[in-house]
Amino acid sequence: MNGVERAFKIFGKEGDEKKFRGFRKMRGPPPEKGEILIKAENVVKGFPGVWEHLILDHINFDVRAGEVHALLGENGAGKTVLANILSGFYVITSGQIYVRGKPVKFNSPRDALEHGIAMVHQEFTLVPTLTVAENIALGLKEYSSLSFPLKEVERKLAELSERYGLKVNPKAKVEDLSAGERQRAEIMKVLYWEPDVLILDEPTSMLTPHEADELFKVLRGMAAENKGVVFITHRIEEVMKVADRVTVLRLGKFMGTKSIKETTKEELLKLMIGEVEPFRPIRKPVKSEKPVLEVIDLHVVGREGVEAVRGVTFTVREGEIFGIAGVAGNGQRELVEALTGLRKVKSGKIMIMGKDVTNKSPRELAKLGVRHIPEDRRGIGVAEPMTFGENIMMRDYCSPPFSKNGIIDYDFVTRHAKELIKKFEILTPDIWNTEVRILSGGNIQRLILARELWVEPKLLIAFHPTYGLDMRALTHTHKLFMRLREKGSAILLVSEDLEEIMSLSDRIAVMFRGKFMGILDASKATVEEIGMMMAGIKPKEASA
Amino acid sequence: MASAVIQKFKRPLLESLLAIILGFIVGAIVMAMFGYDPIAAYSALLIGSIGSLDGICESLANATPLMLTGLTFAIGMKSGYFNVGAEGQAYLGAIGAIMIGSVIHLPYGIHLAAATLFAMFMGAIWSLPVSALKAWRGVHEVVSTIMLNWIALFFVRYLIEYHYYEPGRAERAMPVLPTARYQVLGASLTTVIFVAVAFMFFAYFLLWRTTLGYELRLTGSNPEAARYIGINSTRVIFLNFFLGGLAAGLAGATQVLGRPPSWTIYKTLGNVINLGFDGIGAALIGRNHPVGIIFASIFLGILSYGAKFMMYLGVDPDLTRAINGVIIIALSLPELYRIIRRFIVGREAE
Repeated sequence: MNGVERAFKIFGKEGDEKKFRGFRKMRGPPPEKGEILIKAENVVKGFPGVWEHLILDHINFDVRAGEVHALLGENGAGKTVLANILSGFYVITSGQIYVRGKPVKFNSPRDALEHGIAMVHQEFTLVPTLTVAENIALGLKEYSSLSFPLKEVERKLAELSERYGLKVNPKAKVEDLSAGERQRAEIMKVLYWEPDVLILDEPTSMLTPHEADELFKVLRGMAAENKGVVFITHRIEEVMKVADRVTVLRLGKFMGTKSIKETTKEELLKLMIGEVEPFRPIRKPVKSEKPVLEVIDLHVVGREGVEAVRGVTFTVREGEIFGIAGVAGNGQRELVEALTGLRKVKSGKIMIMGKDVTNKSPRELAKLGVRHIPEDRRGIGVAEPMTFGENIMMRDYCSPPFSKNGIIDYDFVTRHAKELIKKFEILTPDIWNTEVRILSGGNIQRLILARELWVEPKLLIAFHPTYGLDMRALTHTHKLFMRLREKGSAILLVSEDLEEIMSLSDRIAVMFRGKFMGILDASKATVEEIGMMMAGIKPKEASA
Repeated sequence: MASAVIQKFKRPLLESLLAIILGFIVGAIVMAMFGYDPIAAYSALLIGSIGSLDGICESLANATPLMLTGLTFAIGMKSGYFNVGAEGQAYLGAIGAIMIGSVIHLPYGIHLAAATLFAMFMGAIWSLPVSALKAWRGVHEVVSTIMLNWIALFFVRYLIEYHYYEPGRAERAMPVLPTARYQVLGASLTTVIFVAVAFMFFAYFLLWRTTLGYELRLTGSNPEAARYIGINSTRVIFLNFFLGGLAAGLAGATQVLGRPPSWTIYKTLGNVINLGFDGIGAALIGRNHPVGIIFASIFLGILSYGAKFMMYLGVDPDLTRAINGVIIIALSLPELYRIIRRFIVGREAE
């Protein structure tokens, strides 16, 4: 059965073509195995003003019919941006995209869909109160007659479901579906368009391992039908499991395309995180044995109801920097949220200075001298519609000298803000007339650093503290961290930047799937060792 | 410093003025379409409302409750909630004023203060179910406030009909005693306008000078940031709806304790009905800022009083409500313009 026949089978009888045009047929003959379906040549993408560097710097990428092509990289490597370019959500700054050999320019996702390129986004896009079939019929309205083709859609979904082994009940309401089912519904939604190339952005991030294996079977099935599947991930073991080829990106740069048969986990890891030669600042050993933060067998349930932190125990001492390394999504976020009072603990204990603070609010923790640099700076670190001044006083507004008897001392805050602007080299046009939303990411990060670190904290919990900073500010921040360490602050540093972790930390824990793979002495740890542990491989000799 | 302030408010001020002009132009077009002389109608409106001392007083008296109900909505918006409960809370305020003002005997001054405070308190009480449902059951405030508005309507009618009716004139409640009346300044304007303006400045002080107000505004700007800092969201919910209730209760009181000649409410609630919803208009035109709302309310007061004079020319006074509507739509245009621009330019130039 060729593609045209199949299109008719799915989209209706012959003659019904106008009502349900066979999308695949509209685009000409079906692809042959190995044909290059889409090709990106020297693609450059920059968002002016947001970041100083290019998001994508001369990327070459192609997808062939019948393959699963993994796109591998860390957060911020540009994987999603590239996918959004290929599927018409973003317009490229320069470079050229070819679809089956012809140069194209996409102005919208619809353009890309009509060229047979579909993307399944990481976040869900279906309307929760409608059924799966209704959701899909919504997107089809301009391709069918005025009537709502619900019956047809339901029937064809059932067929698609059987053909690819994607189990979804078309009549189920989206809000009643589990994360895995929702994702299958999302995939169905784009499959309805009969795409030649299917791009999936981090499809496994919300799935259980079993669901992920099911998904991999589906992906292989699609490849067997001469579709090109692009699979975005930051998990190397998944790449090894499902992909035919892999392209690695690092900080917007193209690191190479490899065939899975000719590569190893270790090589991919090296491409992904780079040759790290850690700069180790001169440091005195940790003087004190006094624990500041003690975490005992902590279990935390994550966003999707899955246990994200599964039994973590560690201690951070006075004057110690304790680093947590790991590929994003292995429970670091939930761990930090639990430690900072933003997420309920399922079981286990958190102690600060010998006091039980499990499930205490951020305000109570702040009173004990805990400061927190959050991961999502625009989302939770600042209130973008508020002024610079209102943001700089966010942590301390309720205590003197910021306010007395509930009345804010604006004169003091102005003086304080001026001081911090100078000390932390923040670029802002004004204190009380500038909304923080207009500041660049780097300056917002400086604002947060200034706000949290103008006093010496007892415990600092820092999540990606230098993300988006230029070299100068980064060195500045690292020096500040070392100074705080000398003065006796305990610092918990969570970062995906191995170089940062290795140069700053006294001890390093590697987190993998909600657990610590081990806690290493930073002066003895090697990149290879940490890299292996990040990939979930237990090194032979794990020191404590 | 002064220039910085002007710089900051220039844009919203210009936008509001443009919207008002646009509203008048559209109103003129509508009138011309129906064969009226818009210039004559508008001059009748303006001469009637601000052409005489009585007219000015009447317009200001109309403005007084609107600024307070506008404030209710604005405090909600500043805290991130869509509070449309001022309507019902104003009814409760009005009946609260009757409860103290008409029944209990107290010396002048004390009586006035007691009636005013009790009215505010009644308005605020009516906000508690909204907060409780929101904080502990997650019920959206639009649903609960609208339901409570209806409950308030029938509850207050019941109270008037069965407990507070004026013997011999059963269509209305007992007027408040002279010891519980604000001093008349001229026409139906009383000193209650000073209380209203003072409350506006109190709200301004609270929102921008105190830590409590900061917590409200931070929650309204970014609830996630408020959570990250450890602000108690339940407290923010209760505080913002309670403050709104106080303002709305006071708005109801102004119509009873500070509005001759009736000094009471009618069973139809004719003199308090729609105050809450018109206040939303005042808040939108005034950009949810207490000072802006004062001016917006005065403008709406002029419109509503002047409309009566357009009637002499045969123009339906409801047309001024239509003008009102156009102004509010026009105020949302800058945002609409940005969206359209993004849509057109984004496709080509991005």
